[in-house]
Amino acid sequence: MSRSYDRALTVFSPDGHLFQVEYALEAVRKGTCAVGVRGKDVVVLGVEKKSVLQLQDPRTVRKVAMLDDHICLAFAGLTADGRVLIDKARIECQSHRLTVEDPVTVEYITRHIAGIQQRYTQSGGVRPFGISTLIVGFDPNDTKPYLYMTEPSGIYSAWKANAIGRSSKTVREFLEKNHKDDLSREESIKLAVKSLLEVVQTGAKNIEISVMESYGKITNLDLAQIEAIVSEIEKEKEAEAERKRSRLAATAAGQASMTSRAAEGTSGQ
Amino acid sequence: METSFALTGKGYVIVASDTTAARSIVKMKTDEDKIKVVSPHLLMSYSGEPGDTIQFAEYVERNLRLFHIRNNYSLRPSAAASWIRRSLAQSLRSRKPYSVNLMLGGYDVTIDSPHLYWIDYLGTMTEVPFGAHGYGSYFALSLLDRYHDPEATLQEGLATLKRCIDEVAKRLVVSPGKYKVKVVDKDGAREIEL
Amino acid sequence: MNSIANRFATTGPIRELKKAQTRVEDDEFSDSVWGSEAGFGSLAKGVPNFTVPSVPDPSSFLRLHTDDFADPNCRIKIQHGTTTLAFRFQGGVIVAVDSRATAGSYVASGTVKKVIEINPYLLGTMAGGAADCQYWETYLGIHCRLHELRNRERISVSAASKYLSNLVYSYKGMGLSMGTMICGWDKTGPAVFYVDSDGTRLKGDLFSVGSGSTFAYGVLDQGYRWDLTDEEAQELGRRSIYAAGHRDAFSGNTCNLYQVKEDGWKFIGNYDISKLHYDGPGETPGAGYGYDIRIERTAAPIAVQA
Repeated sequence: MSRSYDRALTVFSPDGHLFQVEYALEAVRKGTCAVGVRGKDVVVLGVEKKSVLQLQDPRTVRKVAMLDDHICLAFAGLTADGRVLIDKARIECQSHRLTVEDPVTVEYITRHIAGIQQRYTQSGGVRPFGISTLIVGFDPNDTKPYLYMTEPSGIYSAWKANAIGRSSKTVREFLEKNHKDDLSREESIKLAVKSLLEVVQTGAKNIEISVMESYGKITNLDLAQIEAIVSEIEKEKEAEAERKRSRLAATAAGQASMTSRAAEGTSGQ
Repeated sequence: METSFALTGKGYVIVASDTTAARSIVKMKTDEDKIKVVSPHLLMSYSGEPGDTIQFAEYVERNLRLFHIRNNYSLRPSAAASWIRRSLAQSLRSRKPYSVNLMLGGYDVTIDSPHLYWIDYLGTMTEVPFGAHGYGSYFALSLLDRYHDPEATLQEGLATLKRCIDEVAKRLVVSPGKYKVKVVDKDGAREIEL
Repeated sequence: MNSIANRFATTGPIRELKKAQTRVEDDEFSDSVWGSEAGFGSLAKGVPNFTVPSVPDPSSFLRLHTDDFADPNCRIKIQHGTTTLAFRFQGGVIVAVDSRATAGSYVASGTVKKVIEINPYLLGTMAGGAADCQYWETYLGIHCRLHELRNRERISVSAASKYLSNLVYSYKGMGLSMGTMICGWDKTGPAVFYVDSDGTRLKGDLFSVGSGSTFAYGVLDQGYRWDLTDEEAQELGRRSIYAAGHRDAFSGNTCNLYQVKEDGWKFIGNYDISKLHYDGPGETPGAGYGYDIRIERTAAPIAVQA
């Protein structure tokens, strides 16, 4: 019987679930991972790029989209749904400028996008968007970076750092452990790459990084730059492992000598 | 009285417009900018019915920007001009048409050449080497027929524009005071002090 | 490119109508419900939801019944003559208006409030149709408050004036008559915008609107500087309204003076224009603004000293 609750319309199941929305979240979990890290006066978006087929042109697959001069969006989930939502958001950005002259604030456009997503959970004959989004940017006349997340249900929330998509839980836990307030530009980028490496095994060539430093200043790191950061991280990791190993060896040696001395002691008695 | 001029030269287009906003016999403002930079290499001067002008200009501006964000490149001047003309023509056949006269000056970076389009509120569009709207056109067009040179340097072009402005100041009863002058060339659009 | 094109191809009521017809496609609900339309969504059915007379041509219908110039016996007489002014200076914004309402040659009232207090930070002035100004500026007030609630910050003067301008533009040609200045203080400092029913919207330092505006400009332009002190600025506003009240038959009675500062607007005072003529704003007799009084004063300074 429960079948009849999860068909064409989003309607409640008897225990208060909206199955379609939950399935949409499942689609998000299958999507490639995206992280956002907010630093002191910078905000970084990192996404996991799917490996393209040998003959495919990689330039046509983009997961970070510019909504307006000062706002970027990354999404995880169904790419086709993302494209539609991005277009709606872009129209709203221009429409907002047309009606009140000012550019949108990051929160405003987030609320708008979340509003659209919510609408698709409560209208007839439509299905929810199968995407979560990370929205970053700067407000006009402000130096503070912002990072927001929206979900298929229409929830939106502000974050210091967050991840969506495949293995987002692992990445989020990593971020929780390693995020500090007031990160510099380099630190923020590094943290984003590092957290992505938790789930991206193939390394630099499957990572895409966009950095927003102030109102309207967006840079996309090229492969060489990301590779440099990745190798730096790997070096650090190795050094860390080396230290651990030597520390382990030292403690092992210490313990060995302790036990041997103890043995000597007992034998001496 | 609203007046605007535009002329092409070697690798550039100059667009000039008066800066007065008047209501009956009163000048409400004397430093109103009536030339919009609608995309990196495109200038649009607008005049006509108050209200309509700014509404239509902003509508064009935002749509061209939307195009740029969606496609990651800007419309070429010829394409933008066609789209704008079409918008005006469609509006002309609606219940409340926009009464706006336009001058569209752009630099086509794909073929490295300047273009100037003259568009009126009826949706007439024509590509011209120079053009003018308003009462100023009655003086400036003959003057430009005589003095315009499509191969002129920017300096010479500005001198020709100065001739137009001076002539209008000399002969038109209610001549505008100040002009805003903008230039577009391969480096994009910028404002110029005469 | 069609999306904005469709949304803005026509404005106002016509657009609403079209929107209702095409709602099937995407918008089962109006965009406003979702906080769209730049935070200006209305409560239920989109913004300009104002009924027009159900006749084929509402504007000519309105003109027929309100044009007291063509037909002195017309049924509805709209208030026309006015002097209002506002200017920006170092200390904020000065707003000064007269208080006379005329209907044809008849002075209908001498105590009209031509400054509309939109909210504690925004003032609007009234010239043209009194009802139009009052209604739409109060309506603007509602939406400024909604904007505040939705976006957790006060609306900018620029956005508020643009909203009003878009609104009246959507009624262009249907008989609205307004010439107003929206004045206030926001993040960018003091600001004055001129908005009229043609759909014109101008940002500027100094504006005057109404039949007496030319007289007001005469005094205002000559005395205006950016670094005026508060007292000097208030005096300039008062004198300019006095000048218009004195010379323009359709302006007069009293002058209402306001100043907007960083912490909102303040009502400075109400001044009788006849009294200004003879005595000036203070209580000293003989300090009047009137030409004769002024000449008498400068001609006989010794007498005053003695």
